[in-house]
Amino acid sequence: MAEPISRERFALLVERAGLTLDPERFEELRQGYRFVERMARTVRRRRERDAEPAHIFVHPQV
Amino acid sequence: MDPSQLTVAEAARAIAERRLSPVALVEAYLARIDALDGELHSFVLVLHEAARQAARAAEQAIAAGHAGGPLFGIPIALKDIYKTRGVRTTAGSRRYQHHVPQEDAESWVRLKSAGAILLGKNETHEFAIGGPDFGLPFPPARNPWNTAHYPAGSSSGSAVAVAAGLCAAAMGSDTGGSIRGPAAYCGIVGLKPTYGRVSRRGVFPLSYTLDHCGPLTRTVEDCAMLMQALAAYDPLDPASADVPVPDYRAALGPRLDGMTIGVIRHFHEKDAVAGFGPDNAPSAAYVEAFERACRTLESLGARLVDLQLSPLIDYADANRLIMLAEAYALHERDFREQPQMFGRHMFARVALGAFLSAADYVEATRQRRELCREFARAFAAVDVVVSANATGPAPRLDEVPLWGVFERASYTAPYNLTGAPALSVPIGFENGLPLAFQIAGPPFAEAAVLRVGHAFEQATEFHRQRPAIAAPLPSPR
Repeated sequence: MAEPISRERFALLVERAGLTLDPERFEELRQGYRFVERMARTVRRRRERDAEPAHIFVHPQV
Repeated sequence: MDPSQLTVAEAARAIAERRLSPVALVEAYLARIDALDGELHSFVLVLHEAARQAARAAEQAIAAGHAGGPLFGIPIALKDIYKTRGVRTTAGSRRYQHHVPQEDAESWVRLKSAGAILLGKNETHEFAIGGPDFGLPFPPARNPWNTAHYPAGSSSGSAVAVAAGLCAAAMGSDTGGSIRGPAAYCGIVGLKPTYGRVSRRGVFPLSYTLDHCGPLTRTVEDCAMLMQALAAYDPLDPASADVPVPDYRAALGPRLDGMTIGVIRHFHEKDAVAGFGPDNAPSAAYVEAFERACRTLESLGARLVDLQLSPLIDYADANRLIMLAEAYALHERDFREQPQMFGRHMFARVALGAFLSAADYVEATRQRRELCREFARAFAAVDVVVSANATGPAPRLDEVPLWGVFERASYTAPYNLTGAPALSVPIGFENGLPLAFQIAGPPFAEAAVLRVGHAFEQATEFHRQRPAIAAPLPSPR
């Protein structure tokens, strides 16, 4: 299992997100952060510039 | 015979032929809920009087010759994220513990129009993601095959109620497998329809581009009957698709001659361990049940071919990342202002979305398009595919890890990501607990998926096996 993100670095991310976490939730999320890193790694890859996202803008009908 | 033992198809026929009264059917289910749900926790609200009133009205309509609708008098239940006008809808959360909506979910409107009667609201993981959590207002539902075990989630209560015979059918929702997981662990049928096939309007969202509404039933035929009522274009749901609805029940038959079925083995044989670690290896009993199920499909006349797609983790992680980003955006304000309103599981899982970047989200949606194209190419050569569902029996309820939703291989996520219809069907048992596989098709091919599921079901006995708790109640002395 990958090392969890350091407390100091994670505290910065939490502050940037505007969340206020008690110590228990802070530690729990810090342990879970490795999944964010894994997911981001899985989807970050070299793509052609014309590789469009799945969702495109559609004019709403009312 | 105890009418609660009947399938939807059997009960609907008996009502239409005046051999069964809707009042007797509703009373049978209410008696079972009162007797058994104290142990199962599948309902968070039981509408005793409203259901009785609706049943009496149905009986009067029959007497007056006005009975109508394919689900006339059929008692069903809704996951407690489906809004019900004037009836408390909590999303399984303290945040909405006393919430009484002013409107009905469109899917419930459609079922009601077909004649269904609402028995109550089913337990759900908080906002369809946080559970099993013993700190929520309602205790987690328990697996009817062994109440020490997990029924999976998030449509836990819906699956438990159907499997235990506490309602004829139920509605769930599925963002990464929340219909098909509970269907697998509870030994019933669950369908995640094509994205856009069933309206999501009036259902608490988890993730706008991945959420699907669908039925949980005891048989594939029952699933087809509910789908006939549910499938429709809803101009007020931005994702709804204006695509003709076929006759699902007419598509059912005993043989699969002329069909080509792709078998995706590498998801469970290789990718689960490679992507998610050795704890994700399928059990030997599961692999055997899966192969036996494939041979059954062949014996019914289908031609089976191996399919090779991208690794499972490519589908699963893109699905989870998109889900997290969209779910966090939905709950961000509440998480900042009143985090104490949320249970441990829901908060921890969804709050991870705070740490994703906009570029992560866009990259996941670009990957989604690539994988959808891969799926479309695969379906050019086959009619449907089969792949694993959960690759072992349900774990104990007290052993479900907080991060299981991200740690474990998800065999269901590929079909949320691609929006393809996917059906979970029982294929066997391990240690007395059910096993299942998935049958999936190209977009809007529910009829083909149901056809394969039904033929498989008719050739096997798994769907006829019910948990002991589903047996008829003892007759009153």
